[in-house]
Amino acid sequence: MSPTIQAEGALLEVEDLRVAFAVGGREIRAVDGISYAVEPGRTLAIIGESGSGKTVGCRAIMGLLPTGTQISGSARLRGTELIGLSDAQLRKHRGSDMAMVFQDPARSLNPTMKVGKQITEAIQAHRKVSKSEARERATELLRLVRIPAPERRFHEYPHQLSGGMRQRVVIAIALACEPRLLIADEATTALDVTTQAQIMELLLELQQELGMALIFISHDLGLAASYADEVVVMYAGKVVEQAPANQLFGTGGTVKMRYTRALLDAIPHLERPAHTELPVVTGRPPDPTALPPGCNFAPRCPAAADDCTAKAPALTEHAPGHRWACWHPCENGGAA
Amino acid sequence: MALVQQIQPQRDPGARSGFARRVTGSPALQLVGRRLLTAIPVLLGVTFLTFVVMNLIPGNPAQLILGINASPQAVAKLDAQLGLNHPFWDRYWIWLDGLLHGNLGIAYSNQQSVNSIIAQYLPITCWLLLYALVGALVLGILVAVLAARKPNGIFDRLSLAVSMIGLSFAPYALALCAGWLFAVKLGWFHIIDNSLGNDPFTAIKNLTLPALSIGFGLFAVYSRLLRADIIEQMEREDYIVTAKAKGVSPWRVLVVHATKNSLFTLITLVALNLGTLIGAVAIIEPIFSLPGIGAELINAININDLPLVEGIVVVFALVTVAGNLLADLLYTVLDPRIRYGRSAS
Amino acid sequence: MAAQLPDMTATVLPPQPSLPSLVSGRRLRWQKISRALRLWVPAFILLAMLFICFVWPYVYTIPPGDTGSILDSSLPPFSPGHWLGTDANGVDIFSMLIYGGQVSFEISLAVTAIGILIGGILGLTAGYFGSWTDSVLSRVFDVLIAFPALVLVLAVAEVLGPSEMHLIWALCAFSIPAEARVFRGATMVVRQSPYIAAARLSGTGNWKIIFKHVLPNVIPGIVTFSLLGIGIIVILEGAVDFLGLGIQIPQPSWGAMIAKGQNVLTATPQYVLIPSIVLLIFVMALNLLGDALRERWGVR
Repeated sequence: MSPTIQAEGALLEVEDLRVAFAVGGREIRAVDGISYAVEPGRTLAIIGESGSGKTVGCRAIMGLLPTGTQISGSARLRGTELIGLSDAQLRKHRGSDMAMVFQDPARSLNPTMKVGKQITEAIQAHRKVSKSEARERATELLRLVRIPAPERRFHEYPHQLSGGMRQRVVIAIALACEPRLLIADEATTALDVTTQAQIMELLLELQQELGMALIFISHDLGLAASYADEVVVMYAGKVVEQAPANQLFGTGGTVKMRYTRALLDAIPHLERPAHTELPVVTGRPPDPTALPPGCNFAPRCPAAADDCTAKAPALTEHAPGHRWACWHPCENGGAA
Repeated sequence: MALVQQIQPQRDPGARSGFARRVTGSPALQLVGRRLLTAIPVLLGVTFLTFVVMNLIPGNPAQLILGINASPQAVAKLDAQLGLNHPFWDRYWIWLDGLLHGNLGIAYSNQQSVNSIIAQYLPITCWLLLYALVGALVLGILVAVLAARKPNGIFDRLSLAVSMIGLSFAPYALALCAGWLFAVKLGWFHIIDNSLGNDPFTAIKNLTLPALSIGFGLFAVYSRLLRADIIEQMEREDYIVTAKAKGVSPWRVLVVHATKNSLFTLITLVALNLGTLIGAVAIIEPIFSLPGIGAELINAININDLPLVEGIVVVFALVTVAGNLLADLLYTVLDPRIRYGRSAS
Repeated sequence: MAAQLPDMTATVLPPQPSLPSLVSGRRLRWQKISRALRLWVPAFILLAMLFICFVWPYVYTIPPGDTGSILDSSLPPFSPGHWLGTDANGVDIFSMLIYGGQVSFEISLAVTAIGILIGGILGLTAGYFGSWTDSVLSRVFDVLIAFPALVLVLAVAEVLGPSEMHLIWALCAFSIPAEARVFRGATMVVRQSPYIAAARLSGTGNWKIIFKHVLPNVIPGIVTFSLLGIGIIVILEGAVDFLGLGIQIPQPSWGAMIAKGQNVLTATPQYVLIPSIVLLIFVMALNLLGDALRERWGVR
């Protein structure tokens, strides 16, 4: 398939983003130079394990990292450079152009504030509307996220709602000002499997209805396979593989990165014979304060060779639309 | 005093019996009821301990009242009159019975009822404590919020330094040093003037130094605790990130979200530390010659006026227990999770 | 459909050999130094005070507190031979501070030690065994804690009579329940840990578990609390002396010194100010050290 060049520019362009913290006298490089882009109306999945920097990268774009964090690089939302903006300037975009949905709805909502109030607060932060107008809009939003009896729910507290409903409320809050970009950070991880599917479906429906771009962050490759247009795989703060979803998964898909391959292999499949040992990746992600000189994954990689530990491979577009950073990628990485 | 900060609210999960659930609907009432029940043995223990300790003090009260030259017969007669020749348990029961009816007995020194003596000296103490408490709370909250706005900023560090001094300054030392600085050196107050006067201004003026002596320590504890709590909310809690992600202004996030939720802990702390607060008056009032309960207690101890000492001490202790109960009650009332219970759907 | 990448001319992103540090080395170093200072400065101050009070008198003979000639009475600070001045009887203030410090240290350390010992056993028992033991013990602690500390101490001191040992026991009436509570709370938290369950399942005796497993984990919380506790005890003891109800000995403690200076506050404030400041520094150092240790050990 030849790639068609979109007429519009990308909605979000991230270029060489780096984020570092100083904790207890040591420097942690959470994000070590990542680049990607998202088109309007498209879904990008950022996949990685804990500590890969996937969340930190997106929070850096939103400006939600604690003060004292060093951020460099570029992130342009519809052409506006976000990195380096003051908090007051970023706030204009935060919640209005771009919004975020978080992992644990039980903790993401203020337990002592009524649900409706939390939505109207989001509205009134950006629009000059009266209290009753805000209330109407909030109720409308509750309906939009498929919460039954929205007028009643408006006056309830978060703990009076179930987990799935709470997450819908968080989505409603995010949608309050019709953002162009919605970032879902492990939005379904804290939910049970059925609710997970419901919420993902809801997000995709809303994306269609409202024409938003959606970035969803997860450690679950299965989700990426099912729902994403484009996938970015991160490891230890760097992007290691990047491709459209159909090039990675499914029949004819080719996974090149050892790491991505390992992640895919680790997903349990019903078709395998019973009691087959799950091929788990041994070891742990590198200590962010002491990154190895060569490829970050080399210590755990089954195909590691001398050049892997000597020099870090660059993220290169070896095939059209498909980038990876590996000296010895998988040859025939057919997806399961 | 530094003691205050250590008393943290202890949440008690506890089980709920079916009976309780049937009898009382609201979970808040249930919690309060249970707390009241556990408080009763403590209250009894308090009265018992007071009585025991007081009765161990050497010296015959009748002798003390009548003086050294009194004849043994007169002493024996007064003994019988006061009921001092009854066995221990009888006396305890009589006293407890009186206590339950609100009667704290008759003071030895001037034969007045303890109730009336307490009533006489209570007002000044109450005004003093109110002044100290309100001042400490208002300033404490203000400083904590401002400090939390920029953790480790200049204002924050300054406020922490001041709080550290407040925590470490012995109230009596503070009273005298402040007295010297403001009254002697600067002449803003008089240490000797100790009445409430006829108008609020005199009252405030005279109570300021004593209230400062008590309140500075309180302010230090409150502002430190609140600041730590707010900062923790701001840094650890996910709902703060959500609020920021909405694009809400930082002040609003700080005040409406973080501070509001931190105030629960603060208020509970205030109620829990009612006891320490009261204890402070015992030392501050004599310094400023304020005619309050604390000063009266010290007087009573000095002249071994047992019923008076017992009465005041019991009142102090009961107020402390009441404070603990109040803290639990407040916690349930203020936290909507407990007030509205669970109604998952 | 491929996503558009920002840079269409070069499809290779050049690798960065070693990334320039985003965090200034200076800030990192300052963080480390500041953390160490916050621990060692108060610790040093405390050790210095201990040294001055207990070792200095042997090295450089300070006249014992109760001598002093009337000729030297009421000297102001910075007088030759008496750098803090003398009181109305000619007694050197600095030596009064030293001997008063000895008294204060001895009493507060004794009280804290007894509190930890007895309160510790009671608290560990209550926290570990739970149910009836805990209920009963907790009620007892609650009763004692219900009394304002000063009042409790005064009452017990009254009953027992004036003497240093009795004052110590009176202060213990406050410190034992306070320590017991902290022990109990910490024990209850540790009790829930899986390794305690493992130890019990393997048949280890209860008391062995308590001493080998529970106790070591409870220690950080105890140390930080007790440091504060020492400060509180010194203040309380001072309060008792201040009210004139404490020990009447020739060597006044710091609290007693402050009390004595009360009457002459207007004319000669230094008799109040000097011991007040010394007391303040002492308690502040304790508090600061407790804070630094709490930070280091991660106690809440």
